[in-house]
Amino acid sequence: MIQLTDVYKTFTVKDKRTRAKKQVEAVKGLSLTVKPGEIYGLLGPNGAGKSTTLRMIAGLMQPNQGRIQVCGLDTVEQPEKARAKVGYLSTDLNVYGRFTPRELLRIFGEFQGLDAKVAERRGMYLMEKLQLDDFADVKMEGFSSGQKQKVSIARALLHDPKVVIFDEPTTGLDVLTAKTVLDLLRVMRAEGRTVIVSTHVMPMVEEICDRVGIIFDGLLYGDASPKQILDDWGVKTLDEVFFELAARSAAEV
Amino acid sequence: MRGALLICKKEFMELMKDRKTMFFTFLLPVLLYPAIFGMMSKLGRNDEEKRKSKASRVAVVDASQTLLPLLRTEPTLFEVVSAPEGDVKQAINDEKLEMQVEVDEDAAAKLEAQQTFSVKATYDRSNDSSRLALTRLKEQLQKQDKTWVQARLKTMGAPADLASPTKLESVDAGGESRVMGRIMGSMLPYLLMIMMFAGSMQHGIYATAGEKERGTLLSLLATSLPRNQIVLGKLLYVFSIGILSALINLASLGISMLLTFSKEAAVNAPSAGPGMGSLSALANPATLALTFFLMVPLGLCFANFIVLMGVQAKNAVEAGSSIMPGFFAVMMMAVFSMAPGIEKMAWLPYVPILNVSLAIRKLFVHQGNIPEYLLALVMTVGLAAVFTWLSTRMLKRESALFKV
Ligand SMILES: Nc1ncnc2c1ncn2[C@@H]1O[C@H](COP(=O)(O)OP(=O)(O)OP(=O)(O)O)[C@@H](O)[C@H]1O
Ligand SMILES: [Mg+2]
Repeated sequence: MIQLTDVYKTFTVKDKRTRAKKQVEAVKGLSLTVKPGEIYGLLGPNGAGKSTTLRMIAGLMQPNQGRIQVCGLDTVEQPEKARAKVGYLSTDLNVYGRFTPRELLRIFGEFQGLDAKVAERRGMYLMEKLQLDDFADVKMEGFSSGQKQKVSIARALLHDPKVVIFDEPTTGLDVLTAKTVLDLLRVMRAEGRTVIVSTHVMPMVEEICDRVGIIFDGLLYGDASPKQILDDWGVKTLDEVFFELAARSAAEV
Repeated sequence: MRGALLICKKEFMELMKDRKTMFFTFLLPVLLYPAIFGMMSKLGRNDEEKRKSKASRVAVVDASQTLLPLLRTEPTLFEVVSAPEGDVKQAINDEKLEMQVEVDEDAAAKLEAQQTFSVKATYDRSNDSSRLALTRLKEQLQKQDKTWVQARLKTMGAPADLASPTKLESVDAGGESRVMGRIMGSMLPYLLMIMMFAGSMQHGIYATAGEKERGTLLSLLATSLPRNQIVLGKLLYVFSIGILSALINLASLGISMLLTFSKEAAVNAPSAGPGMGSLSALANPATLALTFFLMVPLGLCFANFIVLMGVQAKNAVEAGSSIMPGFFAVMMMAVFSMAPGIEKMAWLPYVPILNVSLAIRKLFVHQGNIPEYLLALVMTVGLAAVFTWLSTRMLKRESALFKV
């Protein structure tokens, strides 16, 4: 279960030329709920605030305002306990090149406080699912980005998290690997986990997401099943919702 | 603390995967010191021994044969050669001989008449061998002068002791161990400080700014490990590397010194050389333990500084350039602490970090001062605590973690 109530996040950035400090409102009053056994898709153009939202849910950042709960645990008040429930994956996250996948998973098993045997078994299961077993004992330095991404996925799911947060999980993956990941997400849903993913890839959303929320400029538009959204906006594809929103914001300025 | 230990373990595992870095960090210093020391002592000894073992080639012009027979009686010191053709100075410059000695033609007569005769020595002051020839001549003449004076006194019926009113006898109150202690005491804090800082700097950057740059830090932060445990783990790692490299360097240095000095002692004076005894006095367990207790909080301060800067930086290069000034400061302080006479400055015991090297220095010359030692210890521990608190707080700030 993920629950966001009126969440705000502001960054202070400095303009190098004018030397003026500027407030960037990445998320402006976001509220949403994702239930167990559900895959929630967060859509939006670049810089919309998707990653920021997911980072806050994962406990990597704190909201300036509002409240985030993961499995009933407040991410600010009980950060460690909340993080223990979360499996987080993101594109700007990398693996330790000096280790092999097996070593990496063993180490992260320790970090997550797992029993060594349990971690080993779970790691093997995930590596098999992700078709990584051939590379389990190869140093990750020379891995392709897809191979690294697979290891990262295994790392994120190792501790059997109740909440799965994937920020653009299929970026840089070929169609076959992307399908493997999507299948894995379906398994997660079937196991009753709470899943939230962000993406630009619309077909993927229509295929696996039970509900979608469209973030545009820090605000959430629509919070319904993909089909419902298409009906509500009177369009044929989700891409068209983007074009509509972009046109609107251009008209406002 | 479990989290910090796990992080530290992970850092060490990562380090161990990199054979090359391991070699340069831990093995190279072990091999380096014996090599350097062996070479240095061999070079030094060889040169001096060679000169000392060779007789000086001297051309002697002595018509009355007053000095020549005397020089001939010392074949290990002088080799009498024929006078060079052409310019004498040129011949000395060309190292054909070391010195030319010209004795008054009527020297024998003057000696008989109890008068002074003159001896003119031509040598090259810029040449070690030539200078040695002059020194040998002076010593020889001094001895001979005394014999002659005593002979003259005898003919006058006066006692021979008239020729030597004083007899100098020198005793070294410090003893070899103090001399060695002074040298080591001023060098050691310097070496320890530099080694501790330099040894852990790169590893600290790798584990902080480097992790940020490589995108692995996020995966650590996403685990259920508390943030301060992650920083403490990194701190522990950098600190351990610092202490380890200081110890390794020190041990290697100690062993090489022991080997070289004991060899030298055997060559110079087989009975009681300057090496073994003084070194064992230096390796006094109490002195070493007290030194170690001071180095621990100092190492923690260094590690904190490195981690703090590393966490602040966007990437490894930025971290490196922000740590460099700190390294220079430590180097300056270390050099300053080697300067002679600084232990007399009254304010020195109150300057953090500097007082550590002062205290270590005093320990090694057996002038250990308990209040000063404790002051240095307390100040450094305090500083380390403040630093640790600061860096754990710093890593909690997300601006430090998500700099883009
Ligand atoms: N650490 C940060 N410091 C300053 N500004 C930031 C930071 N992180 C995000 N922002 C800003 O917040 C806004 C939202 O960024 P975010 O990364 O959440 O977008 P996104 O929806 O994930 O975009 P993309 O699809 O490109 O990944 C952007 O304007 C970005 O510049
Ligand atoms: Mg993003």
